[in-house]
Amino acid sequence: MLEKGRISPRQTGQLLFMTTIATVIFFAPSMIAGLAGHDAWLAALAGPMFALITLLLIIWLGRKHPGLTIFQYSEVILGRWLGKTVALLYVWGFLHIGAIAVREFGDFMTTSFMSHTPISLFNFSIILLCAWSVITGLEVIARMNEFIIILLVSFLLLILMFSTPNWELGYLLPFFSRGAMPVLQAALIPAAWHGNIIVLAVILPFITRPARAFFAGTAAVLTSATLLTVGVIGMTAVFGPELSSSFLFPLHLFAQTINIGQIITRFESAVMTIWTAGIFIKTSVFYYCAALGLAQILNLKEVRPVVLPLGILLGTLSISLFEDVTMLVSFLEKTRPLYTLSLYSFGLPLLLFAVTLIREKIFGSRFGEETNEA
Amino acid sequence: MPSAFSILKKLLKNISGSDSGGEKQAVCRGDAIKKEDSPLLERRLALIRERLGESKDIVIREFSSSNNQVKLAILYVDGLVDRRLINDHIIRPIQSDFIVKNFSHRLTEQNALQFLKKHITSISEVAEAANLTQAIKMMFSGETALLINGEKKILVYSTRSWDRRSVTEPETEPAVRGPREGFTETLRTNTALLRRRIRHENLRMESVRAGRRTGTDVVLAYINDIVNPLTLEEVRKRIAAIDTDSILESGYIEEFIEDVPFCIFPQIEHTERADKAAAAILDGRILILVDNTPHALIVPTSFFQFIQASEDYYERPHIATALRFLRLFVLNIALMLPAVYVAIITFHQEMLPTTLLLSIAAAREGVPFPAVAEALLMEAMFEVLREAGVRLPKTVGQAVSIVGGLVIGDASIRAGLVSPSMVIVVAVTAISTFALPAFNASIALRILRFPLIILAGLMGLYGVIFGLLIILIHLAGLQSFGVPYLSPLAHGSANDMLKTFARPFWWMTRQRADELGLRDKKRQAGNIGMRRTPFAERELTHDNTEENDAGKG
Repeated sequence: MLEKGRISPRQTGQLLFMTTIATVIFFAPSMIAGLAGHDAWLAALAGPMFALITLLLIIWLGRKHPGLTIFQYSEVILGRWLGKTVALLYVWGFLHIGAIAVREFGDFMTTSFMSHTPISLFNFSIILLCAWSVITGLEVIARMNEFIIILLVSFLLLILMFSTPNWELGYLLPFFSRGAMPVLQAALIPAAWHGNIIVLAVILPFITRPARAFFAGTAAVLTSATLLTVGVIGMTAVFGPELSSSFLFPLHLFAQTINIGQIITRFESAVMTIWTAGIFIKTSVFYYCAALGLAQILNLKEVRPVVLPLGILLGTLSISLFEDVTMLVSFLEKTRPLYTLSLYSFGLPLLLFAVTLIREKIFGSRFGEETNEA
Repeated sequence: MPSAFSILKKLLKNISGSDSGGEKQAVCRGDAIKKEDSPLLERRLALIRERLGESKDIVIREFSSSNNQVKLAILYVDGLVDRRLINDHIIRPIQSDFIVKNFSHRLTEQNALQFLKKHITSISEVAEAANLTQAIKMMFSGETALLINGEKKILVYSTRSWDRRSVTEPETEPAVRGPREGFTETLRTNTALLRRRIRHENLRMESVRAGRRTGTDVVLAYINDIVNPLTLEEVRKRIAAIDTDSILESGYIEEFIEDVPFCIFPQIEHTERADKAAAAILDGRILILVDNTPHALIVPTSFFQFIQASEDYYERPHIATALRFLRLFVLNIALMLPAVYVAIITFHQEMLPTTLLLSIAAAREGVPFPAVAEALLMEAMFEVLREAGVRLPKTVGQAVSIVGGLVIGDASIRAGLVSPSMVIVVAVTAISTFALPAFNASIALRILRFPLIILAGLMGLYGVIFGLLIILIHLAGLQSFGVPYLSPLAHGSANDMLKTFARPFWWMTRQRADELGLRDKKRQAGNIGMRRTPFAERELTHDNTEENDAGKG
């Protein structure tokens, strides 16, 4: 077994929560507001629908193949070569999402804080940290996350709380001013983030009580969606839909508006600090999944040999995937929902699910029993 | 020439056949005396003199019993024994007329061992050493050996008594409320302090020896039916694996048995307080007492134990809980206040309220250095002052505080070398460092402060968080005897979490920590919850009224 550590259901839930919330709260609000206007918060609320379906698929597949990751059971289900292809697709997917997260972070840092510093410094330094945590293993990432999640969530709640004097709830009205379609369309954007729940397909075998995984996943999806909704409500209430859609990082500006008694002002640097920790966890998780996947595809004894090459790939991708921040945003807004949802979060699990069903019902294959020992 | 001699020695050994165990290693110079442990007294004494050399503190006294039947010799280390005990209860009964009068026909060389042990000498603790090596070893821990002519076994009397420091209040861990007893350098005193606190049959004191030359006694103290047997086994294994010639302090043991040797954070807690040690044992941890040091080790240790003080458990729980949060805060200040200050001054000035920013900027106007250099300079200065303060005798200490506080602090500001705000930051940090209960943990924080300041100077708050994440990865990966170092934060149950960060009322504390995997987790009967209050008071007042009534009637 490549991973010796075990994580508790609670840690699993927290990891899943973090992989979503760490970036969605920074990027999604302006995009959602752009599409859905006043109803942005409805879109944010509708976001997790797809993720719940994905979650069901993952849990079902995990029950059929206990003790195996998605990289392993895709091979069991689809046969060696096709299975390995799907597994490789996932490795690419995790790498891609990880690279996007790193890029989001780098762009945020260079546009909002240190415009003279090259983006590669931020990207590679955070990847260096992530590489170390990937080598130390899933258990350590989960433990760090327990620490960081307290900081991140309490900071987000604190910002929201401090901003309430500026809230203008009239901005939330009227409902469905543009009809239901834009809301659903906008809901696809957070859905792409919630689709990160696919990470569970990798860490499912390492949970101490797999039976609780469904609960952990659901809780993670729902809490992150709730927090996002509250965040979107706050931002819409402070800026109004037009203004918040025009910002690149509305949360950043949102934090700037806070002013409590002339003392608690200009929170954004603190937000950046906490957010760095969040990005670190998120990238570590995806990096970890990619490394574990590659190691399993190549039948390696340990993850270590693939960590550095993948890290370099991750760093390079994070810089060369997008030319600038506008390209990144348009990718996140237009391409990514369809790309990740259709492929990683929905398409491929559905394929595996269908093939499993067909093989069981029509060809009489049985899954699960022979893999129990492994 | 030496080779010929060694051949001869080998031959001699082969002829004599048996050589008794460890003796032959001890022989370093070749002498004509036969090397084996002979029961004959003279030969034995000669052998002892040869092995121990000219050490004036070793006393060898030959004498014979009053009926002149048995030749004896007594052997002890002067200064480690109670001489009066030896004179009155070993030598005098053997030499007195008592034997002649009552047992003269029975004391012979053949039965001397049992006879002396059973009827003559009056010392409570007697052991029989199988050979000379064993007896000498025991002699060095303050026992008295009685050699009997013609008898292979040696009687060893416990006559330990040496100048020892009395039990005093531990200087490094003072407390406002709580017992004032601290461990001393004498192992027996320390174990007695524990026994007095835990009067239970299952308190075990396992003794091992470590250090080939120092032969230091190490005691593992634990409660048999609470402790996690796997942890105990691991501790035993690690201590047994120590292969060194000297153990002078528990710090030696700490370094030999800790999980990650290169870690900057202390992985094993130590204490001088007997009550804290007893509490740790009752928590299901294992206490390692080492002879000749008052500092006992507590394993397993998690990081958040360092924010706890034994006083927490004696004061009101509300205050103790508040104090713990204060210590957590102080810990963060001690680690990163200078770094955050440097980052804000250099990169994120907008975070400060405008008036504060203006006053800081005005104060910094004449300062020639960037904030990083300023911070490093002042921090280094402070470390030097602190170190000097520790080393200096008390009489000179005042001079240092004047030079340090007034001359360096005040004059450097007037000279425009550093800004007053930086001095404030460094001073607050310094005080915070000392507000932590655990000195060894605060040293780690002090060292880590410097790289954080440099990172802050390079990359601002991002640098600070970068450094903190490095520390976090390291800490999250650490384990102390199978318990995650960051637990309960990183692994534990809500129960552990509550007990670490808050200090619940004693009547609420029904369980021991989950993280240790203990045999017996239960502290009190009943469910976790509020204490019901149909309580003694009501009965008391009731009784009182009854009495009053009776009195009236």
